[in-house]
Amino acid sequence: MASLLQPDRVLYLVHGEKKIRSPLSTLYFCRYCSELRSLECVSHEVDSHYCPSCLENMPSAEAKLKKNRCANCFDCPCCMHTLSTRATNIPAPLPDDPSKTTMKKAYYLACGFCRWTSRDVGMADKSVASGGWQEPDNPHTQRINKLIEYYQQLAQREKLERDRKKLARRRPYMPLAFSQHTIHVVEKYGLGTRLQRQRPGAPITSLAGLSLKEGEDQKEINIEPAQALDEVEPLPEDCYTRPINLPEVTSLRQRLLQPDFQPAGASQLHPKHKHLLIKRSLRCRKCEHNLSKPEFNPTSIKFKIQLVAVSYIPEVRIMSIPNLRFQKECQVLLTLTNPVENITHVTLVGCEEGDPEDINSTAKVMVPTKELVLAGKDAAADYDELAEPQDFQDDPDVVAFRKSNKIGFFIKVVPQREEDGDVTVSFKIRHDFRNLAAPIRPSEEGDAPTEAIWLTHHVELSLGPIIA
Amino acid sequence: MTPFMLRRIRNRLSKKLKSINKMSDKQNAQKSAKIAAGAVVCVESEIRGEVTIGARTVVHPKARIIAEAGPIVIGEGNLIEEQALIINSYPENIAPDSEGVEPKTMTIGINNVFEVGCMSQALKIGDNNVIESKADLGRNMILTSGCIIGACCQVNTCEVIPENTVIFGSGCQRRVQTERPQPQTLQLDFLMKILPNYHHMKKTVKTTSAVTPAKN
Repeated sequence: MASLLQPDRVLYLVHGEKKIRSPLSTLYFCRYCSELRSLECVSHEVDSHYCPSCLENMPSAEAKLKKNRCANCFDCPCCMHTLSTRATNIPAPLPDDPSKTTMKKAYYLACGFCRWTSRDVGMADKSVASGGWQEPDNPHTQRINKLIEYYQQLAQREKLERDRKKLARRRPYMPLAFSQHTIHVVEKYGLGTRLQRQRPGAPITSLAGLSLKEGEDQKEINIEPAQALDEVEPLPEDCYTRPINLPEVTSLRQRLLQPDFQPAGASQLHPKHKHLLIKRSLRCRKCEHNLSKPEFNPTSIKFKIQLVAVSYIPEVRIMSIPNLRFQKECQVLLTLTNPVENITHVTLVGCEEGDPEDINSTAKVMVPTKELVLAGKDAAADYDELAEPQDFQDDPDVVAFRKSNKIGFFIKVVPQREEDGDVTVSFKIRHDFRNLAAPIRPSEEGDAPTEAIWLTHHVELSLGPIIA
Repeated sequence: MTPFMLRRIRNRLSKKLKSINKMSDKQNAQKSAKIAAGAVVCVESEIRGEVTIGARTVVHPKARIIAEAGPIVIGEGNLIEEQALIINSYPENIAPDSEGVEPKTMTIGINNVFEVGCMSQALKIGDNNVIESKADLGRNMILTSGCIIGACCQVNTCEVIPENTVIFGSGCQRRVQTERPQPQTLQLDFLMKILPNYHHMKKTVKTTSAVTPAKN
């Protein structure tokens, strides 16, 4: 049953600022802290920008200048698919001899999904394949730019005053209170607001950038305030009686994707440049090590650093569930997979009464008391036919089967509640972990190169409804 | 009469009967599927019932044109790709053998494209339409001209689709385009040259004489 393999059936608990329960495939493992991390307890950083259709990399400064849009690719304003450039041959008069006509190539944009073309909005065909298409100008651009400059200057001034006051008083540590205006200024000079919060001891690098700006003459920018008008344009007279031409009316989504114009008619929908996507890297907040760092090349899906939980923590999966009955003991078959190459010893412990982490379970569970031994993951096992099968003494009541680095074992479940809803059980899994990331000590002692530490995780399983 | 002579007479009679049956079968088969000269219809396609196919139409192998509840008339310059199904079937609530059901003719115009895997039951299709892959047309639809039914769109309403309409997306959104889709003349020419190199073709019939025994 493929539904038993659904990832959200087996949840691991992550101890962070918030207690998060999520499947192992979505978690990361910081091997310096030896703890599980979820997406909410790591900091996300932008690594690089790239266009999803032409896969062109763009440095961050250029991306910011172009407002995070690709220069070559366009989105269909009707269905948001990527537009492709098509060519037609049109007869055009020769420049030397107007009476003769020759075939010239004309290019237009077309959408393969909804069959929108650039000719629908009246955009003329261009004679170059790329680079000829311009977005229409926003009539309010000048005013908006002026306003932005004015507020940036204001924010700088405010921040300078605040920091000057702070340095003068010399308080040891004060959380930087950000006003709405100062946030974008900090981003320009600093590393990002969240990281700055996490580094209490770091010097205020933002000031360094600001001091340079002080040297330049500061131009006073004055803006005229917006004027309120008393009279509003009246609605057209046939507003209520005019029949609506439905294909011409734009949908809300089409309208709001062009916030500059928000056209109400489909014949004013111009294509916009395609939005860039980012590659992000993840960093553990406690030890500042990178947990995930993708490759720079947009065409590559590999990672330079990939500390995902499934390659360090043994994974529990549900294999088969019998009919669950209220207050009757049922035997559920689970599998444990060992992702590392050395032998792992796993002990399962049921949750005690009053365990603060055990909030969701609706059934009592009896886990095998003996220690389970998992063989190491052998990458060459498929090809090596002469490998001796390792001999583990398995108790047939506990261990159902054993296959290379996987083991199937039984647990006994007694559903305690007769209500509708899934039967949930939880237990703790304790396994040994050899930290290969620890610095290699100079070999004075004849110790094993790496010592094992024991990690405990809280696991919750969702077994499905009770069948009466 | 000796048994030997009886046997000879019986053999000759059975041979004659067989040849007569063959001739009438051929005549019947030809009445059912009239393929105009210039059309390229692969032998692997399945054509059942009374189907008329116009000139310059290309029917790919594994296409199926089934005229159950009435004849099908297909115009010129159409492109019917693999696994397309054009079927004139009985509506669901009427049993095939009930009386009083008049056979309705399904007409398909010129320059239409039926892409791979589509299914069309619409009784009236105009010109220059494109029915994209895996689209599904109901029986009560009437396509005018220049319509494009997008991939995987199931349209089962009882209406006339206005000209140059595009139906696309999972929600079968609609919009009107300003120009009709171009007729696939290049593709048709290419296929008419290439397909006979790799497939056997069904025999075409001269449209002037309806009943002529073919030389197989």
